Amino acid sequence: MNIDPQGLNTIPAISIRNLTKVYPIPFRRERVVAVKDLSLDVLPGQVYGLLGPNGSGKSTAMKIVLGLISPTSGQTQIFGRDSSEVESREDVGFLPENPYFYKYLTGAETLHFFGKVCGLGGAKLRTKCAELLKLVGLENAASRRLGGYSKGMLQRIGLAQALVQDPRLLVLDEPTAGVDPAGSREIRDLILDFKARGITVLLCSHLLGQVQEICDRIGILYHGVLVREGKLEDLVSIENQTELILENSSPAVLEQVRALVEKSGGRVVETRKPQTTLESFFLDVTSGRRTAEEPPHVRRKE
Amino acid sequence: MMVKPLAAVFSMLLLFGAAKLPFEHRLEQEDRAAFFHGAKLSLGLRDQVGQLGFLAALSGFRSLVADFLWIEAHTAWEGTQWGRMALLFNNVTTLQPRVVMFWDMAAWHMAYNASVAAMQDPKQPRLALRLRAQREYFELGKDFLIRGIENNPDRYLLYERLGIVERDKFGDHCAASRRFGEAAAIRGAPTYEKRFMAYELSHCPGHEREAYERLLALYKTGRREWLPTLLERLEYLQKALNIPAAQRVNIPEKKL
Amino acid sequence: MDTPHKIFSPARLWAIASNTLLELVRLKVFYFLLLFALLIIGSSAFMLDFKFQEQFQVLKDMSLGSMSIFSWLLAVLATAMLLPKEIEDRTLYTILAKPVPRLEYILGKLLGILALLFVSILLMSVMFVIALYIKQQAVLTDAVRGLPPEQTADVIRGVKASAFTVSLIPCVAMIYIKSALLASFTLLASTFATSSIFTIIVSFVVYFIGHVQGIARESLLASPNASALSKVFLAFVSLLFPDLRLLNLTDDVVAGNAISSAIFLKTAGLGLSYFCVYTLAAYLIFAFKEL
Repeated sequence: MNIDPQGLNTIPAISIRNLTKVYPIPFRRERVVAVKDLSLDVLPGQVYGLLGPNGSGKSTAMKIVLGLISPTSGQTQIFGRDSSEVESREDVGFLPENPYFYKYLTGAETLHFFGKVCGLGGAKLRTKCAELLKLVGLENAASRRLGGYSKGMLQRIGLAQALVQDPRLLVLDEPTAGVDPAGSREIRDLILDFKARGITVLLCSHLLGQVQEICDRIGILYHGVLVREGKLEDLVSIENQTELILENSSPAVLEQVRALVEKSGGRVVETRKPQTTLESFFLDVTSGRRTAEEPPHVRRKE
Repeated sequence: MMVKPLAAVFSMLLLFGAAKLPFEHRLEQEDRAAFFHGAKLSLGLRDQVGQLGFLAALSGFRSLVADFLWIEAHTAWEGTQWGRMALLFNNVTTLQPRVVMFWDMAAWHMAYNASVAAMQDPKQPRLALRLRAQREYFELGKDFLIRGIENNPDRYLLYERLGIVERDKFGDHCAASRRFGEAAAIRGAPTYEKRFMAYELSHCPGHEREAYERLLALYKTGRREWLPTLLERLEYLQKALNIPAAQRVNIPEKKL
Repeated sequence: MDTPHKIFSPARLWAIASNTLLELVRLKVFYFLLLFALLIIGSSAFMLDFKFQEQFQVLKDMSLGSMSIFSWLLAVLATAMLLPKEIEDRTLYTILAKPVPRLEYILGKLLGILALLFVSILLMSVMFVIALYIKQQAVLTDAVRGLPPEQTADVIRGVKASAFTVSLIPCVAMIYIKSALLASFTLLASTFATSSIFTIIVSFVVYFIGHVQGIARESLLASPNASALSKVFLAFVSLLFPDLRLLNLTDDVVAGNAISSAIFLKTAGLGLSYFCVYTLAAYLIFAFKEL
């Protein structure tokens, strides 16, 4: 067993070791390498953003962690328990991309169903459902069928469903895709709320602005390879540069600043309006590689 | 990744197939023995019912197709299309050879309704031809009953019906007696079959002695059997066989 | 921490099964029962000027025949829709990302279908028995009218013998077992199919081949010196396909044959072993499936 005498905190919520997933293409001698030798840890309490363009392997990695598909080699664990064990899923709640759930169930029935599937029942489950409906702000829509829910409401019932058995880890796949900005903000606030309650979150997304707002740590997958991984501030700050954000400064003042910097041997790289730095970093990382080498995901068998 | 479970499942199905094959074979034979599933579908059926019906016949729709053809035959009857009825009855009984009712009704329509219609056919002025047509329908009805018996040797009804046709339509009392006798031999047959057999036997030349003994045996079983026809036939035979007065049973005067 | 995880939990199984049934009910699957009612009422009314034996024959054939067809269609269509719909709605992922063993998931889904089939066949049987009873009463009042009292007993016995018989019960039980078998086969097909159309077509083909399997089997056993190629073909059909004709007791029962309990038990046992084998096979494929 993996119980650490120094406390549970040192067991990673998610541990991925040398994970490789290869899909054969039927009737052809080619194979697609979806994930290649991926290793990463998500520590308890973190909000971890797994980023990557479509087809980068982040869904595959996530499905392997959840035990939905099996790895070609390597292993994944949730709080020290191997993903191939059904028990490992007691500690994880999952919100898939674009969920619809059962259209004919009401919000309350949906939560009740997922609670029962987790082995819950009775008065305890009823209180839990009411509590969760309140948490995600759907108490007024509890008796409406999911067929009449908006996209944002579906995502929120999805979050509530993921939390029904009080898991310590949430895995969210594109939780704000297709949701309007206001709904998107609500979901973001909920995730921050979960974080405050000590729930670990693995967030897969390509909406970088949002990731930057809530994630502590990020990993970037590109063609199945983890190309960058680390704390968000570390990754997006450039060590020998400093960004000054000025407010209400006249062009004359700016000119004086520039002169001062150049006199001291420095260089003003550019002057611009502030923007999401993660986005530029992300595009830098991925587009730089695309031109430099052949995409690694298609390898011919000898 | 999927190859191994697929191979495992395939070999599992094959193994199970090998195990169940002799079981299915035996069960089918037991079924046949128990129900006399009888008549394997004759090849001619394919042409008669048409491709669709043939497929359905083999696929659990057999009884429904038979019913629809039966209803069609009923419609044909209302239109007095006797030839068409015979054809439809053939199809129905081929599809459902174990439904005694279909054989019985088909035979009845042919021997009783179609034959009468043929005899009264206003389009056929020549009596000899009308008689021949009538006779053909008698034969057709008899043929349905014989084939019905082949498929249902365990049911008394068709033997009885055949006996009646032999008696009423062909006037062959010896054959009729044989048929009633066969009916009487089947478990669950009504008691009157034995009586009918003896009555017909009493009309069958050369069998008077046997008929007499049978009627006497019935007479001795009790008052329940002392029906007017039985008493009348017994009396006739006592006279015909010159039974000594001492041995004769006392026939009560016909009161009933 | 909390209670240890159960390897197999009837509560979880029932949650999935009842949800599957609820889904089918809310999809208004049971509307087909109206069609069934219409069929038996229609055939009863239409047959009024026939002899009573004919009326009972057609009513029984119609009811049991359409019961058999409806439960077959229901089994195949509802099962074929199951997995593709779960994948489309992502509920497959949400459920399996919970601590639910795949065996429980697939059994729960199948159990939901079995419950649907059970309720459907039960309701159809009730309608059928009611129709039979009404017809019997109508025929009786008609037949007894004007008869001397000593003959009525015989007539009543005759009419009742053509109406409801106890052997209708094993016959309906076999309709249920047969539809369960077809549902389990459809589930097996859908675990490796890529679309529900494919599943439906495969299941229909198996249905039709299953009714001629007996011919293939008997000619395989009867002709030991057939050519190798035709032997392989006949063996393929007779080993891999179920003999569905054997599982049909309806025709014999309606024809008035009583079913011996030995034959019923053997036939039911055969159907149930098919059901178990197909369910196990479906589970094996599903357990290793990449979702």
